[in-house]
Amino acid sequence: MKSTDLYQGKHHKWIVFGRDQGKSEKIIDTNQYMIVTNQQTMLLDPGGIELFSAMLAGILSHTELDKVTTLFASHQDPDIISSLGLWDKTIPKAKLYAPWLWEGFIRHFGMDNIEYKSIPDEGQELRLDSVTFRFIPAHFLHSSGNFHVYDPEAKILMSGDIGAALEEPDAPMFVEDFARHADKMRYFHQRWMPSNSAKKNWIARVRELEIDMMAPQHGRIFKGEAVQEFLEWFDNLEVGIVNS
Amino acid sequence: MDSIRKHPEIKCFVTVATIVAQLEVILTEAKSLSLTSKNARVVAIRAGEAALGFKSITNFINEFSGRTIQTTEHINLHASQLFKLALHHLRASQLEQHLAKSLTILDHPESKKLYSVAASHVKDAMVALKHELQNLQWQFEEIEQQMRAAEYIAVTSRVEASQAGEFCASLESVSDYISSAAMRIKGAIETNLNTLDELERVFK
Ligand SMILES: [Fe+2]
Ligand SMILES: [Fe+2]
Repeated sequence: MKSTDLYQGKHHKWIVFGRDQGKSEKIIDTNQYMIVTNQQTMLLDPGGIELFSAMLAGILSHTELDKVTTLFASHQDPDIISSLGLWDKTIPKAKLYAPWLWEGFIRHFGMDNIEYKSIPDEGQELRLDSVTFRFIPAHFLHSSGNFHVYDPEAKILMSGDIGAALEEPDAPMFVEDFARHADKMRYFHQRWMPSNSAKKNWIARVRELEIDMMAPQHGRIFKGEAVQEFLEWFDNLEVGIVNS
Repeated sequence: MDSIRKHPEIKCFVTVATIVAQLEVILTEAKSLSLTSKNARVVAIRAGEAALGFKSITNFINEFSGRTIQTTEHINLHASQLFKLALHHLRASQLEQHLAKSLTILDHPESKKLYSVAASHVKDAMVALKHELQNLQWQFEEIEQQMRAAEYIAVTSRVEASQAGEFCASLESVSDYISSAAMRIKGAIETNLNTLDELERVFK
């Protein structure tokens, strides 16, 4: 598993894990994000059960397990959180922030110790040490109960499945040529995203945020200009299409 | 079955599931055995003097089928506990395997610590499961003994039935039924004892 530092600020840093060499090619490649504050660590969309060992090794090369206090699951998909049953035994005192809608479903992954913290539909703030994060609603994009994580200090938006691309396993971490990259995103967004009105709604909400980096759960990360290019592209894309 | 050899922790689960499935067979047979004995008792009473011996035999049948039902229901109640233990064991072994894999990627003292805790959890889970399975084996052996008695009674009752005059044929069919039901229950028990045996071999 490759790890890349995304942001290093005064109070915290962002690391992305991805491009797992050990994974089977039939499993969709995922990006896992880790935010390390002074005393705490939060994992965003910690990933599927198949990734657990590589993730554990990755995390331990940056921080101590005792400090991993918080997990976040944007939605209920297996590529997001099917590793939960193993984390439950590894970091039993941690809290999992996830959409209220999915509690009864996510618990099927096995959860005896970790505490489920339901995020209400309108989203909420979360403070880790001195840093405040915001859970931004992204319902029906694609999951019916779905959130992104916005970090106003680092100006990073972790955007879950939005901005996702189906990529080669060794693809670079950042979008270089947007027009070429768009080809790798079109099918994913048209097929997995069901609602044009939810899309419009989300774009309006996100345009109000100051974003330097948009970090999706699959594919490449958007930086600077590419963020606005993405919003423009997404705005013009019709979604909820089966055959394209 | 090859996957089971490679992943013995799955074997526990399959064992419990196999056993629970067989419990249903035992329970159904024991219940109809108990019903048969009640009906046969009515016939024997109607047959009067000629079927006195048969009547007392129906009491026996009723008694051991009742006990079999009781034991089986008791096992059934414990089945959910067994599944829980097996699931616990399965999860613990999965964690152990994933941690071992993690150690090959990064040999970190924290992973090592986690691994040794996980390994001891697997052992504890195994001990708890083995204990329950041992109990189970004893209970099955008890039912097996009852079925041996049932087969013996079936033979005796056949002799008694032959002396019941006009009720002879009807009571004889009861004897046949007892012996075939006892055989079916014994078959189910045998399956379960073999399954338990196999599991023990996998663990060794
Ligand atoms: Fe998803
Ligand atoms: Fe996803």
